[in-house]
Amino acid sequence: MGWFGLTADKKNPADPEPSSDGGYVAPDRSTRAVCYEMRDQFFQCLDRHDILDSVKEDEKAKKVCGPELAGFEKSCASSWVTYFKKRRVFEYQKEETIRRLEGEGAVGRPPPTAGGIATTALRGK
Amino acid sequence: MPKREIHSTPLISQSTPRSHSIMRHEQSLRQGLRPQLSSPPRRGYKTVQQAKDRAKLGPFSWQAGILFLFAGVGLTIYFRYEKARMARARIAEANKGIGKPLIGGPFHLTTTSGADFTDANIKGKYSLIYFGFTHCPDICPEELDKMAGMIDLVKAKHGNVLRPLFISCDPARDTPEVIEKYLVEFHPDIVGMTGTWQEVKDVCKAYRVYFSTPPDVKPGQDYLVDHSIYFYLMDPDGDFVEAIGRNFTMDAAAKVINDHVGDWKGKLDKA
Repeated sequence: MGWFGLTADKKNPADPEPSSDGGYVAPDRSTRAVCYEMRDQFFQCLDRHDILDSVKEDEKAKKVCGPELAGFEKSCASSWVTYFKKRRVFEYQKEETIRRLEGEGAVGRPPPTAGGIATTALRGK
Repeated sequence: MPKREIHSTPLISQSTPRSHSIMRHEQSLRQGLRPQLSSPPRRGYKTVQQAKDRAKLGPFSWQAGILFLFAGVGLTIYFRYEKARMARARIAEANKGIGKPLIGGPFHLTTTSGADFTDANIKGKYSLIYFGFTHCPDICPEELDKMAGMIDLVKAKHGNVLRPLFISCDPARDTPEVIEKYLVEFHPDIVGMTGTWQEVKDVCKAYRVYFSTPPDVKPGQDYLVDHSIYFYLMDPDGDFVEAIGRNFTMDAAAKVINDHVGDWKGKLDKA
């Protein structure tokens, strides 16, 4: 993980690097890998302290997972940090809903159909 | 009178050779053909039991059974294949539409190499279009990795029939240089493109892509672009075939494309 740390130190994804033609360079594969790794560490800490929504429970998260949060924020753009925090809650709710529906006797999920347009609109970031 | 005599003479003379030939025939029957006629065991039954079994079974034998089995299996496979093909044809046909296509239509963009790219350029090959942006946290990179696998799987089966396109919905940050640098990590075949904010908005509208990029972003601003995540498969006529969602695995998505390519009867550019 050494060289991952190095890349993360070298450039902070929070302030994007301008490209020569007026755009902003996106995080590359290794930078993304560092970000995901730091995110997972932060989320593991949240799990240990029973925090689901680190946006709502910001104070508590900062107190108990301070170093992990700092690492996460350092390795990922701030829009990504917010996105991942919210996605964690969303994913949990989705799992819960599926569990609840299955408990109520819903059998399986609809199979992936051709013509995905007709299925529930998937929106992502 | 002389006529009659003439007639009677051949009659007599004919009768003699005929009787001879009959006799010869009977002889040959007795000798050569006799075993064939007098005994049913054409297939050589040795015992009465064998013959009885044969009679009980009727025309069925193990050869007939195998033939029947093969024919059955063959027909089943054929009908399943045809059914799947018809379903695909229905999807492709339904999306062709009469008149204005539901998805697709005129657009103008610029590739990372600076070339103009319009709806006319998607013809000739199958096109696989993905909308995204390079500063995308996790879904676009996942999907683009999947796209890279799909490209290779289609190439392996049908050759160079697919034109993979990446359209950036974030023209403010995604300049040609940025897109090129980004895509090279996924697959060298993917052609990246973007345009002005209005051009991107137009192409998103044509492909029914949800587009949320604000028109006035400050340089260096950190934001996310909300967008639809489908792969759009367009046929060599430039008509929409199918949208492939995130629920498809790489292999399943490649199969969808390969099957459609296999169904295509018209001209297909493999260069």
